[in-house]
Amino acid sequence: MSVEVKNITKKFGSFTALDNVSLKVESGELVALLGPSGSGKTTLLRTIAGLEFPDNPGEAQVLFYGEDVTQIPASERKAGFAFQHYALFRHMSVFENIAFGLRVRPRSTRPPEADIRARVDKLLKLIQLEPMAKRFPSQLSGGQRQRVALARALAVEPKVLLLDEPFGALDAKVRKELRRWLRQLHDEIHVTTLFVTHDQEEALEVSDRVAILRAGKIEQIGTPEEIYDKPASPFVYDFLGNVNLFSGRVKDGAMVIGGAEFAAPDVAGEPDSEAVAFVRPHDIRVTRQPGGPALTAQVIRSNAAGPVANLELKRLDSGELFAVQLTKELFQELSPKPGEHVFVELKNVRIFGDDYSI
Amino acid sequence: MTPAATTFHTPHLVVHRRTTGEPPLVRHALIGVALVFLSLFLFLPLVFVFTQAFAKGIGYYFETLRDPNAWSAIKLTLLAAGISVPLNCVFGVCAAWAIAKFDFPGKNVLLTLIDLPFSVSPVIAGLIYVLVFGAQGWLGLYMNADNPHLPWLANWLNDHNFKIIFAVPGIVLATVFVTVPFVARELIPLMQAQGRSEEEAARVLGASGWQTFWRVTLPNIKWGLIYGVILCNARAMGEFGAVSVVSGKIRGQTNTIPLHIEALYDDYNFTGAFAVASLLAFLALITLGLKTWVEYKNAVQNKD
Repeated sequence: MSVEVKNITKKFGSFTALDNVSLKVESGELVALLGPSGSGKTTLLRTIAGLEFPDNPGEAQVLFYGEDVTQIPASERKAGFAFQHYALFRHMSVFENIAFGLRVRPRSTRPPEADIRARVDKLLKLIQLEPMAKRFPSQLSGGQRQRVALARALAVEPKVLLLDEPFGALDAKVRKELRRWLRQLHDEIHVTTLFVTHDQEEALEVSDRVAILRAGKIEQIGTPEEIYDKPASPFVYDFLGNVNLFSGRVKDGAMVIGGAEFAAPDVAGEPDSEAVAFVRPHDIRVTRQPGGPALTAQVIRSNAAGPVANLELKRLDSGELFAVQLTKELFQELSPKPGEHVFVELKNVRIFGDDYSI
Repeated sequence: MTPAATTFHTPHLVVHRRTTGEPPLVRHALIGVALVFLSLFLFLPLVFVFTQAFAKGIGYYFETLRDPNAWSAIKLTLLAAGISVPLNCVFGVCAAWAIAKFDFPGKNVLLTLIDLPFSVSPVIAGLIYVLVFGAQGWLGLYMNADNPHLPWLANWLNDHNFKIIFAVPGIVLATVFVTVPFVARELIPLMQAQGRSEEEAARVLGASGWQTFWRVTLPNIKWGLIYGVILCNARAMGEFGAVSVVSGKIRGQTNTIPLHIEALYDDYNFTGAFAVASLLAFLALITLGLKTWVEYKNAVQNKD
């Protein structure tokens, strides 16, 4: 039981939006499609909805619970789609927007008026907008419009719910509220959901699984923990958070950076060679007294505004700059001054073979 | 800005800072020039039309309008507008829909063609129709009894005494030609600005193409469409050049209101001419009023 796409290729002129993409979403799952702009995530969503059609109809397939819908037009697929800018019908009230999908059904399958009203009222309650039923979209805030768009998509009891950048046009505070609400909603109604986002925090917080897209291909797919802790490529590593690059050498299964040897599970069995290590800013420990292997660096700048403190350091041996994130307590304990020399220990060092381009 | 600070600025000062900073004398002079120009060239003539129309009393005014030739002109104008406006309404919606919602080769050619009647002088448009449909023209070949290309068509046309030029069909054709751009030109930018996403939303929700058009597209363009229809109608009723060439100006048969006004004027019946002209002036005032109202409604609908 799943929603599945197989071998989808889609080009716009000379631009390849999707390059032989396959993806399987299990029933009731909430999956995020994460990637930079132009990576093909919205095109994939639109292809599933039937708003775009693959260029390779022979090989490409879109399956809804085993049923091949590749050639079926959008109006007959029974997918729910929420658009980035909501696309609410501006001349209809909130109530009529939500009721639209039921009202346009052919007479034989259209529910009676009383049932339509009951269903819309239920959805209005679900999105907590009961008092707004008679308002028009232009009289609602962005967050309210997005909830109406979701209710409208849910009214037709879709086989799959597709959300295109659902929180993209909202300000930071409303985004956070609404994504928590979406997670709760999904836990309540368990509709198979795919949502597109370019915000890694959003993808990691809300979804059951995350698919990371790059240049029309799925780079990695897995649970948020999996992709964060075990990124399959430098691209994924970089896309999910800030990153520091340390050039050094692989020697006897360890990573040698600035004369110090750091444990790096990736390089076990690798031949000795030049390599670049990836380290997250919060995986760097800064001390005045080395408690193990450490390289030496100079403090360039420090900034303690916000919940964590940020340091910019310079390696004494190579002159490379790198960023460090540490807690306020550690920062106050250390109280680094620009120009001072400190010791730096690296944890969770990652190395990605020859291909260390991001 | 703190509340305390705002109290130092009187509203008068704030207004001055927000204008472009021209001295009052310049602003008043500019407004004055515009007002004098408008009253001299637009308002005074309008007043003159009505004073002249009623110069021989209200009885003579209605007598002129009740004249059979005037009645015939009014009916013909209503007929020409009644055919060309709905025709261009349907065509305008189709063309605007195609241009705004689809990408296809030749899109720019279609756009240029729609603008053609704006760039061609109406007299030329009339002449084109005379050449195509007149007795010496392309259709004339088919009607020529001596050497018809399609004898059955020639017979049918002759039997029914069917004529286009110097007859009602020609007037309708010329009116359609000059009014083609009004609805389409009004709708294209509106539909382009509204985008395709509402239609896409409707399709995903299960609406057929027809349902999408009636329930989503048409209500969204309603005010723009009405606006286009008003302008189209005003032009259809007021058209002189193209209609003048194809009509033949047979009084009581092929004269429209503008042509009838010219005929009365040529007869030195100035009061009569202005009486009929006052109808068109009325139409203009009503059009202006409706236009302002529709513009307001349109702005309200598309404010978001």
